[in-house]
Amino acid sequence: MPALEQLLHGTALGDEDAFARLYDEAAPRVYGLCLRVLRDPAQAEEVAQEVLVEVWRTATRFDPARGSAGAWLSTIAHRRAVDRVRSVQASGDRERRAARPEPEYDAVAEAAAVRLEHRQVRRCLSTLTELQRQAVTLAYYGGHTYRQVASLLGAAVPTVKSRIRDGLLKLRDCLEVAR
Amino acid sequence: MSADVHTLIGAWAVDALDDDERTEVEHHLTECESCAQEAAELREAVWRLSDVTIADPPPRLRARVLAEASRIRQEAPETPAPEPRTAAPRLRRHRGMPRLRLALVAGALAAVMAVVGGIVTWSVMRDTAPTRSDEIAAVLESGDAEVGKTAASGGGDVTVVYSERLDKAVVVLAGLAAIGEERSYQVWMVDPEGQISAGVMNPGDRSATMLVEGLGDAEIIGVTEEPAGGSQTPTLPMVADVPLQG
Repeated sequence: MPALEQLLHGTALGDEDAFARLYDEAAPRVYGLCLRVLRDPAQAEEVAQEVLVEVWRTATRFDPARGSAGAWLSTIAHRRAVDRVRSVQASGDRERRAARPEPEYDAVAEAAAVRLEHRQVRRCLSTLTELQRQAVTLAYYGGHTYRQVASLLGAAVPTVKSRIRDGLLKLRDCLEVAR
Repeated sequence: MSADVHTLIGAWAVDALDDDERTEVEHHLTECESCAQEAAELREAVWRLSDVTIADPPPRLRARVLAEASRIRQEAPETPAPEPRTAAPRLRRHRGMPRLRLALVAGALAAVMAVVGGIVTWSVMRDTAPTRSDEIAAVLESGDAEVGKTAASGGGDVTVVYSERLDKAVVVLAGLAAIGEERSYQVWMVDPEGQISAGVMNPGDRSATMLVEGLGDAEIIGVTEEPAGGSQTPTLPMVADVPLQG
């Protein structure tokens, strides 16, 4: 990952070439995550654009002491995607969108499956209990609040809140990202 | 209440909170160091979940993003926090320092810290001590630190933070053009008498950070492309040269 940090640093210095290379490195992750959460390619593209422009705008604020560039980028992307989900929910559109067929989803998951080192993530997810795994993935990939997750799973809200946390702690240990 | 907030950190890390809760947790993180540590660790785990969702965006997105970025001003970097043992307080004393330079110092610090964490891999021709992060920090924190930055021909850039008082410089080379395993980038100190090698990068490496000691009368930090392992004299033209003022 140091390459991402370097590109982000160049971007922070206003170097448009560095930003173009950062785009090439980061855009598939940003777009893919938006697509997974939002499901709708048009919205995913729109939000990915907002995210990547925000990366340009706020690269100056990235602090490597606080975390990796990958975490920083993905956090911005996920939060933007989730913000979009919530605002759509608030405006009452979500159900209409949810009723749409989603043929892209499996294709995307399939394409992603042959790329990169996702095996480790899959393996680590499989070390979680069923409830931990469902709670984490519904929240992260599904863009649901923990209360919504509780309602989807028919579980108590405090239980889901705890399972998300202990599931993530287990994931952290499995991925060996503890610092 | 605090214990309750603490249990929300997991949900916070996956953005599963409503706005009020998010605000509450983020406020809590500013006050609770161990919580902030846990939150940061969870974020490092969480982002890996996006390993399995990577997907190619439509090609048109690239041009749109780059075009939009070119029209948008970047945010000023955050004012350094007044913590001891960081560069922040010392930098802040320099009220006369132009904003751009402050930004560069902060940016250079970020780049240096990112690299120092793991990959300081220099074969230094001169007999200098191994690069140490505290020595690098000392240069970045020095009251008289100056910054020079230039784009390298072929891509990437070279940033030099130097202190006349310490007689040292930190050179950050980032994303130089690919040269293959048979070539090395080499860094030179150039003064009126000629040039001295300051270090040779590993063959094929395109990014590195190094500490240069004994600047003396050096007027320029130059970078050249050489056969793997470096040369006695620089092969011109330089890939980049950063003038040192003063």
